[in-house]
Amino acid sequence: MEEKFISQVKLQELCNELIDNNFDIFIPKEYGYQKLVKGENVTLDNSLKPTKSSFKDIIFPKAEPIIYYKKNKSDIEIIDPQINKKTNIILGAKPCDAKSVAIMSKVFNWDYKDEFFNIRAENTLIFGILCNFNDEFCFCTSVGLSPKSTEGSDLFLVPLNDGYGVRIISPKGEDFYQKYNSYFTTVDNKLIEEIESNVKEPDIVFDSEKVRNWIKENFEDSYWNTLGEYCLGCGQCAFVCPVCHCFDIVDEDYCYTEGRRMKNWDACQFEIFTLHASGHNPRDDQSKRYRQRISHKFKYYPEKFNEILCTGCGRCSRGCPVSIDIKKIVTEIGSFSEV
Amino acid sequence: MDSSLRQIANELLNTGKVNAIIGYIPVDGTTRTKPFIATKTDEVDKFVVNHNILNNLSVYLTKDEVKKNFKKIGIIAKGCDIKSIIALIQENQILRDDIVIIGVKCSGVYSDFDLQTLADKCISCEVREPHLFDYLVEMGDSSELRGEDRKLKVIRQIEAMNAEERWDFFENEFSRCIKCYACRQVCPLCYCERCIVDKTIPRWIESSAHKRGNFAWNLVRAFHLSGRCVGCGECERVCPMDIPLSLLNRKMMMVTQEEFNYKSGMDINVPTLIGSYDLKDNEEFIE
Repeated sequence: MEEKFISQVKLQELCNELIDNNFDIFIPKEYGYQKLVKGENVTLDNSLKPTKSSFKDIIFPKAEPIIYYKKNKSDIEIIDPQINKKTNIILGAKPCDAKSVAIMSKVFNWDYKDEFFNIRAENTLIFGILCNFNDEFCFCTSVGLSPKSTEGSDLFLVPLNDGYGVRIISPKGEDFYQKYNSYFTTVDNKLIEEIESNVKEPDIVFDSEKVRNWIKENFEDSYWNTLGEYCLGCGQCAFVCPVCHCFDIVDEDYCYTEGRRMKNWDACQFEIFTLHASGHNPRDDQSKRYRQRISHKFKYYPEKFNEILCTGCGRCSRGCPVSIDIKKIVTEIGSFSEV
Repeated sequence: MDSSLRQIANELLNTGKVNAIIGYIPVDGTTRTKPFIATKTDEVDKFVVNHNILNNLSVYLTKDEVKKNFKKIGIIAKGCDIKSIIALIQENQILRDDIVIIGVKCSGVYSDFDLQTLADKCISCEVREPHLFDYLVEMGDSSELRGEDRKLKVIRQIEAMNAEERWDFFENEFSRCIKCYACRQVCPLCYCERCIVDKTIPRWIESSAHKRGNFAWNLVRAFHLSGRCVGCGECERVCPMDIPLSLLNRKMMMVTQEEFNYKSGMDINVPTLIGSYDLKDNEEFIE
């Protein structure tokens, strides 16, 4: 059997043409996925650790205006913002990032269809890439993914000598391929499979169903207190997470008569996240907030949307100021019910 | 060494002098360490002190879940951490009598867990021999780490810039800010019950992580720490976007020292810079 192949040289040429055709291409860099400049070398190193933040800001920006308003005596004029409808290409997303849009899409299309998210998601084409990185924080295999998982990708790259084997995953990916097929040749599928089978997968460290069951039965357990003592309540974990999607709505007045309404990233570890106008705060200490973080990811979201709200990328733990390790915590929770 | 540290910790818990001891334990299978709060004597055997004790644990002394639970607390602290403990005492946030300080004679810590280079703050450190403590322990590995003062070089470069160039420099750095507030949460001196950025009636500082919001946040924080920051460098260490926050804080420390001959966190009996006034105070540099 044959698969598609694109050489490094052709990939470079393709990127140049896509930029000419008004596409924005984003490739993994140290701090996140950054826009490729025409002529810039397209280097996709799948053995590097995940970028500091995921590409979620391309679909779900850290701060974006959702309406502009003008106040004129008793009238208020509402102006809709222009959403950038350019096609984004995410080139070289590890499986733990590629899946993120599909996971977040469930909540952004639950009771209300969030057009800001949807328009961008619709206009984004994801080239996943086989992952060849595995450190102590990685646990994609425990949440149903793997270094070779194609879930969420439209096309999937497997690095070979001087180029990439390319699997077409979605109809969107097929459309793209048809349009640009002159850049592609073919390669023996066995070569791709050989590379895929040599990838070292992280060990499976917990059973997500056992985790869910323990959380269900142990809402008041003292285990949560031990976590709350250490967590300092910053939003690092949520903001670098590929699937954390909470946001805050705030109005920004430029002056007395004009302003805009912003949708900004928010995080459940912040003390004021659940603070009510009355002054009451149902999550009034860090252990309750930490319990929420774990429960949302491993119980509420799976129950409601049949997806774990975690891709096992390990970013939250790599960057935690006080070395809280979500993989260890969830592994521990998974083992409680075995005793 | 670790054994005497463990002996001290054991005795403190045994005699009930403290209800908890905050220290460092190794992360399994690595050379890194993480914060650990020991409440039982059998837990103190895990404590270590070495070049990898990066955290400034004094941030926990004002944290509700710790302060209210344990009241009398022992803490393992390097000289730089002791500076912030002193600043907290100077600012009446904790009582000296509630804290037992196990000082660490420090020969330097690494800048980050992965990078085996000396932390910038250690280069011109004047408190490797702690200046306030109840007990003193030595680092497991007392070999002196060495490095060069990269930060001071950058500060000198920024000083030589004109206002526009400086603006561009910081605009570029702040553009990465995602407003996770890890800098604030990890800072022992950012203990305000309600931070100004979290105030909404009225909203003084835009919470959006855009250019204006990021400038406002990072500059307000630098101002609020002027004359207070002890230079422990935790904000910069934990910033997920590697924004060089210590450039601002250290420059402010240099100014307060030059203009007022004041260094935060050196003596619990000295009034704070902001909380004191002298007719001879220099004010000509304020424009």
